[in-house]
Amino acid sequence: MRPLSFLALAVSLSLPLAAEAAPPLVLAVGGEPETGFDPIMGWGRYGNPLFQATLLRREADLSLAGDLATGWTLSDDRLTWTITLRDDARFSDGTRLSAEDVAFTFNAARDGDGLTDLKVLKEARATGPLTVELELRHPQITFTGDLATLGIVPKASYGPDYARHPVGAGPFRLVEWREGEQLIVAPNPYWHGPEIPFPRVTFVFGAEAAGLALARTGAAQIVAVPPAEADAAPEGMQVLHVPSVDNRGVMFPMRPAGGTTAEGAPIGNDVTADRAIRVAVDQAVDRTALLALAVNGHGAPAHGPADGLPWDNPADRLSETGPDAARATLESAGWTDADGDGLREKGGLKAQFQLVYPASDSVRQALALGVAEALKPVGIRAIPDGRSWDEIGRLMHSEPVVFGWGSHDPSEVFNLYESSLAGRGWYNPGFYANPAVDAHFAAAEASESYEASLPEWRAAQWDGTTGFGAKGDAAWTWLINIDHSYWVSDCLDLGPIQTEPHGHGWPITQGLPGWRWTCE
Amino acid sequence: MTGWLGRLLVERLIRLAWLLPLAMAGLFTLVSLAPVDPITSYVGARVAEVGPDQRAAIAQAWGLDAPAPERFALWLGHIARGDLGSSITFNAPVAQVLAGRAGASLTLIALAFLMSFAVGLSLGLTAAATRGRWPDRAIRGFAVVLTASPGFWVALLLIALFAVGLGWLPSCCAAPPGLTADEADLAARLRHLILPAATLSVVGTGPLILHSRARAAAFLESPAARHLAAHGARPGWLAWRPGLRHALGPALAVHLAGTGELIGGSVLAETVFAWPGLGQATVRAALGADAPLLLGIALATLVVVFLGNLAADIAARLLDPRLRQA
Repeated sequence: MRPLSFLALAVSLSLPLAAEAAPPLVLAVGGEPETGFDPIMGWGRYGNPLFQATLLRREADLSLAGDLATGWTLSDDRLTWTITLRDDARFSDGTRLSAEDVAFTFNAARDGDGLTDLKVLKEARATGPLTVELELRHPQITFTGDLATLGIVPKASYGPDYARHPVGAGPFRLVEWREGEQLIVAPNPYWHGPEIPFPRVTFVFGAEAAGLALARTGAAQIVAVPPAEADAAPEGMQVLHVPSVDNRGVMFPMRPAGGTTAEGAPIGNDVTADRAIRVAVDQAVDRTALLALAVNGHGAPAHGPADGLPWDNPADRLSETGPDAARATLESAGWTDADGDGLREKGGLKAQFQLVYPASDSVRQALALGVAEALKPVGIRAIPDGRSWDEIGRLMHSEPVVFGWGSHDPSEVFNLYESSLAGRGWYNPGFYANPAVDAHFAAAEASESYEASLPEWRAAQWDGTTGFGAKGDAAWTWLINIDHSYWVSDCLDLGPIQTEPHGHGWPITQGLPGWRWTCE
Repeated sequence: MTGWLGRLLVERLIRLAWLLPLAMAGLFTLVSLAPVDPITSYVGARVAEVGPDQRAAIAQAWGLDAPAPERFALWLGHIARGDLGSSITFNAPVAQVLAGRAGASLTLIALAFLMSFAVGLSLGLTAAATRGRWPDRAIRGFAVVLTASPGFWVALLLIALFAVGLGWLPSCCAAPPGLTADEADLAARLRHLILPAATLSVVGTGPLILHSRARAAAFLESPAARHLAAHGARPGWLAWRPGLRHALGPALAVHLAGTGELIGGSVLAETVFAWPGLGQATVRAALGADAPLLLGIALATLVVVFLGNLAADIAARLLDPRLRQA
């Protein structure tokens, strides 16, 4: 009774002439930010920041478009962005959004100790009521990613309790957040975008099973579902498998064994340092079989860190694949099985390595086991080894690891393959180094625009002679991209959907302001 | 009358004074030794976006760059001034997290406590009144099954039966989805409370049935009860009046002393039913190696359990004058 009467009231008050009324939405897609809704602490980097508006936004095809910004230009030395703001942006408390707020947000994020990493920013300055200058320490075109994800907070009212009482210039305002239970938002009446038809949107958190139960009783309109359950959608809902770059792949240590990191972790692996081994692994794995094994077939084969994204280069794929091609690669590189035990050797070294995966992750476990099985017939022994993340941090420089990545930002590719980041935390754990690749990265970061940087990112993967991709150094064997599965109400039109990044659930909300209700 | 109470309180306060620091030091050691890096778990899936410099900034902001003993000393110093510190997982003061979630947990625990006490005591007395006959055997069988049933299994059973099968009760959350706290009425909240509380009450019910049955049975076989029976008192009246008087004290003592198990069980019940209480927060804190929050929750739990035990002792002495002399 109560939701209906509330709906009737809301509709009669706010939309007296509306032809059709959308009901309040209930979503169970997880993603509760335990630390609250503060962009400076890291909120809103995936999916929709809900409450805050960003300078730019990524369209469904990942091209950049203005949101708060009406103009954005980069100086010739590639160090200073000049941003012009729209003049009709208001926070949900009715106050105007000005250049001061933008400068405050960027400077606070630079100095913050949360999950927003803006160390590249030197200073943000408001140079007029609607113009801001963002000065960088060094050229970095991927800073556009921060322009598209950092939500702007109001300088005047930002304080210690902001994370739990967010005020922003985005499409929604906070109605109530009961931590651990649900978040209720309503359209922000001051938002500069088009009208949102839903009087209220509720995000239910908690266990996955609880979300499924809500969908089965008709109480939720979108629910994130695990691959195993996806195909049994309840009545009135359909299954949506969203393609993603939520990828999984095997990272190889690139150096021969020797030396340790500052923390004392061993570096290098004599077996995987040989390109022939890495290429043979890439050729031997059956990605379709891995998909069936690990995610019920809900996914796509992966060949690079950013399959299908604008900075992906499909030309790096190997032409010869399959176990026979893998055996040929190994033979010609001198890996032979002289003693007939099924395991190849070369100069006394056995073609054998540990294949480390996080023990808590059943998908990666299945992948590790699947890869090990596929390598057995070609004469390579991979020994699956489940560890905790802490242990993986110490093992990852000397043993191959099943990692998962996937971002809407090409800087991830940089982080994985740039030689100067070798061994820096979780970046480039295999100590991969190729000067040609580094040069392409440097050229990409020094580009005049995001669009102009794309060819350089592609060239880093494969430029015709070298690259980090399989045809080049084969530094990783990418295995699968995992589809993100949802049950969606038949009445809900989600419009165009982005290829989703790492993380199943919250990213579906990316296009939320544009969703439409199609039933009466 | 006050003599025994004063003695009891002093004795217990002394115990608390050495128990608290010992428990805190032990827990802090465990958290420090746990193979979980708080920053790695805080960063989670966003490894690609948070660089080494930012990680160092986070570590510094949390004081994680100091050695463990120094951090513990710092924590103790803050506690002495009434400051529980800040939770890493929730980016909020620990006191605020505790205050925001304690209500939901206490409601759940209190209802479960009452439910299992009412059910356990009445079934125990009924079994005593009918001892040796079929109701007694059925109740004892039920008690053994309950005691042997894991809480999560009972929860799944209850959800399958009442939420999915019959559709009578909701299987999740503390209120209907989409309504604010003000809009959700009391009836709706109670409906959401039933299954989690029932699950949680299972922990204490089995032992309580057997315990109160044994107590009441011992009375019913005593010369006093035989005397009353010879004068025409019916077995039902004997069990429910004087029998209740005999069983009530020990039952309450046993039940109050089980507060710790109830709190432990609440972690599980809250996780299964998406109940937004301290149990859920405990799980998050443990997975994130959130030492300040874990220590805060442990401190609060320890005090609650301590008070439960103290209440058990006082109740037992109030209900049974013979204990006061001891």
